[in-house]
Amino acid sequence: MLSDDHVNEIIIEKLIASLIPMTSRDRIKAIRNQPRTMEEKRNLSKGGLTIMTESEGRAKARLTWKIVDKEKSKQTHRILQLNCCVQCLNSISRAYRRSKNSLSEILNSISLWQKTLKIIGGKFGTSVLSYFNFLRWLLKFNIFSFIVNFSFIIIPQFAVAEKNTLQFTGLELFTGVVTGITGLCHQVQLIFLFLVEMGFCILVSAFSSMAKYFRDNFINPHIYSGGITKLIFCWDFTVTHEKAVKLKQKNLSTEIRENLSELRQENAKLTFKQQLTRFSAYVMAWVVSTGVAIACCAAVYYLAEYNLEFLKTHSNPGAVLLLPFVVSCINLAVPCIYSMFRLVERYEMPRHEVYILLIRNIFLKISIIGILCYYWLNNVALSGEECWETLIGQDIYRLLLMDFVFSLADSFLGEFLRRIIGMQLITSLGLPEFDIARNVLELIYAQTLVWIGIFFCPLLPLIQMIMLFIMFYAKNISLMMNFQPPSKAWRASQMMTFFILLLFFPSFTGVLCTLAITIWRLKPSADCGPFRGLPFFIHSIYSWIDTLSTRPGYLWVVWIYRNLIGSVHFFFILTLIVLIITYLYWQITEGRKIMIRLLHEQIINEGKDKMFLIEKLIKLQDMEKKANPSSLVLESREVEQQDALHLGERDGSLDLRFRRSVQEGNPRA
Amino acid sequence: MGGSGSRLSKELLAEYQDLTFLTKQEILLSVHVVLAPHLVDNEQQARSGNEHTGKPIAENTNSSPLSTRAHRRFCELLPQEQRSVEESLLAQVPFEQILSLPELKANPFKERICRVFSTSPTRDSLSFEDFLDLLSVFSDTATPDIKSHYAFRIFDFDDDGTLNREDLSRLVNCLTGEGEDTRLSASEMKQLIDNILEESDIDRDGTINLSEFQHVISRSPDFASSFKIVL
Repeated sequence: MLSDDHVNEIIIEKLIASLIPMTSRDRIKAIRNQPRTMEEKRNLSKGGLTIMTESEGRAKARLTWKIVDKEKSKQTHRILQLNCCVQCLNSISRAYRRSKNSLSEILNSISLWQKTLKIIGGKFGTSVLSYFNFLRWLLKFNIFSFIVNFSFIIIPQFAVAEKNTLQFTGLELFTGVVTGITGLCHQVQLIFLFLVEMGFCILVSAFSSMAKYFRDNFINPHIYSGGITKLIFCWDFTVTHEKAVKLKQKNLSTEIRENLSELRQENAKLTFKQQLTRFSAYVMAWVVSTGVAIACCAAVYYLAEYNLEFLKTHSNPGAVLLLPFVVSCINLAVPCIYSMFRLVERYEMPRHEVYILLIRNIFLKISIIGILCYYWLNNVALSGEECWETLIGQDIYRLLLMDFVFSLADSFLGEFLRRIIGMQLITSLGLPEFDIARNVLELIYAQTLVWIGIFFCPLLPLIQMIMLFIMFYAKNISLMMNFQPPSKAWRASQMMTFFILLLFFPSFTGVLCTLAITIWRLKPSADCGPFRGLPFFIHSIYSWIDTLSTRPGYLWVVWIYRNLIGSVHFFFILTLIVLIITYLYWQITEGRKIMIRLLHEQIINEGKDKMFLIEKLIKLQDMEKKANPSSLVLESREVEQQDALHLGERDGSLDLRFRRSVQEGNPRA
Repeated sequence: MGGSGSRLSKELLAEYQDLTFLTKQEILLSVHVVLAPHLVDNEQQARSGNEHTGKPIAENTNSSPLSTRAHRRFCELLPQEQRSVEESLLAQVPFEQILSLPELKANPFKERICRVFSTSPTRDSLSFEDFLDLLSVFSDTATPDIKSHYAFRIFDFDDDGTLNREDLSRLVNCLTGEGEDTRLSASEMKQLIDNILEESDIDRDGTINLSEFQHVISRSPDFASSFKIVL
């Protein structure tokens, strides 16, 4: 039998042997990743083997990493001497790493709202924190796009001031600022088209990081449900307030009990009649919700048309606010109706309920934006108004502003009222819980409007920035005053992935479609904007390519445009390659799933083998004990068994474990 | 208290930066802050053994890095005569004072955390380096591997290298709190532990070992973000 110290020695020797071929940087990383105390890590990094083996006074050669590295470098020195390219590359990579480190340090130090977020996390947990993190991410994104817009578009435009043909009236909010914005609203340059493309590229790179997130959270082959285990093992250590911890414990206990009762009833089958009623309830709920959404869209469309006619004849300044008001009311009221369906429908898992509600709300919001886009692109753009781009920009701006006002009112008044009702009038309701899904959807809705409007009014990111900034503080104050921590464990990271997916898929692709239709199909207004006089927006690019083709230095750009971006074959081949790669990855995933299943069965079988061998060994020992009653032998055997029992305290990979419980009749053996 | 010579030397600084997941800037800032005069006020409280006032970080350092803040907070827990840097690195602080830190005060696992990270022979006190280890494991940049390793050790109440039924039931009791209505009944506990073992015990031996625990944790993407203590 091996003693504890001897085992430790072997482990450290193996570790050092694995560290020798590494570069010093990897070595430090590997040592840092060791779950050992500072003292042991320090010894490892100095390269000394300091195992306190009092029982065996072996003298270990004190190897230092410097000697090891020198030996290695001597061997490779001759090769590297000739290859100065490699040295160049090394120094470049070192410089890059250093700059990356310093950049991340700087970014960490200027991180916005760090303390506030810590307090929110401490009181309400990671799920509510995820909403505020998302808000902060959107704010950073808008700051970035505003800076890009500003430097490339607005500044040159200030130098070449043009007339602005439309003004907002005095009834509009923030008239002074708005007049200036209108003036710049239709000053969009050719460069802006390219900036849209650049923004697209940046978002593709953001998409790749999101895809990694997606892979970690969704595509992992989940063989077991793992629901309850995650509840037990993932206690939120960031919660630091006493009351919050007690509340969390109570909620966890309730949730465990609910899960357990669900598991008990899982096997209960419903009768056919119950299934039928449940199914018809689902169908009816879906029909009603879709009907409500379509009715709202139709109402918005007819109202918008009517508004346009009305505005042509009368010039009532308040009337322009009617459409945004109605849209915001719909956005506020209809989700409440949807959440009342909960009383009719019954779902097996509350998680499904949350998802279904989310999907309905998303459908509502996307269809409203869709119908508005249709109205803008079909009616306003083709209506023959002069400066129709500015009209659309103004519409979007008003929508955003009204939405913002409604959100603020909801935060300050609505939630406050809800708290009063919950605490004073109907005390059984208690404090409300922060509805993360609804708030994130609002953020995504506003961001979609901003993206659509950027083309028509480049200053929208600035407005969105200011709105997000104010919204953070408003929501924070309302959260602290009116809400209690969430009672259900909310799968924060899965939902964050879902939200980011949502942001990029319906939202961004919808915006891209709208822009594509605008650029390729619509005729710019004849008097306003830098695209005036062109038959289509896209002709600006055609004319630019034409001017480039006359200059000999830029023929490669023209070639790329004509043969890669402009040709169908290229995209066909690209699509084919992507499809093939996707198929290959899918096959690899399937193969790995089978592998996992087989390995799992193998582990179970090996466990059974181990139990069998242990029992056999114990029987043998018992027989020897009976045959040889010498007490010394007994004692030494027992001591060895005791040592063996304490093995593997720090390293679970050693399998030499003989457990007493086996002798006591482990029921699983 | 605290002369100008009390600074973490550059070698020590680099060493801590190498061996933990904390950053260099943080350590530098904290050494500067550790000599701040406001520490004098906390000395009386530390000496009289009162509970730490629970004041979070000073207002001007809300973004100050981790191990410097760690050093400062640690020094606040020491009695006056051990405040010089070299001695503070070696001093052992008894558990009661560590447990009075605001970040740990309400944590249901605070005793287990202190016991796991303690390297003193009697396992009832923490040195500064142990404290740094603690913060490093609970920091943002620590790998999920190391987090799950230490989570396993924290949940292993009898320190035998596996989570058996007794460990799991003590774990659940920690999670649900001490109240009469929140504790699970015996049958509920049995059902819960049976479910846990069914979901995580791959080799069906009745206990969860480190690899099985890490396997379960790898399927919970929320683990890394919740196993965090932000100073």
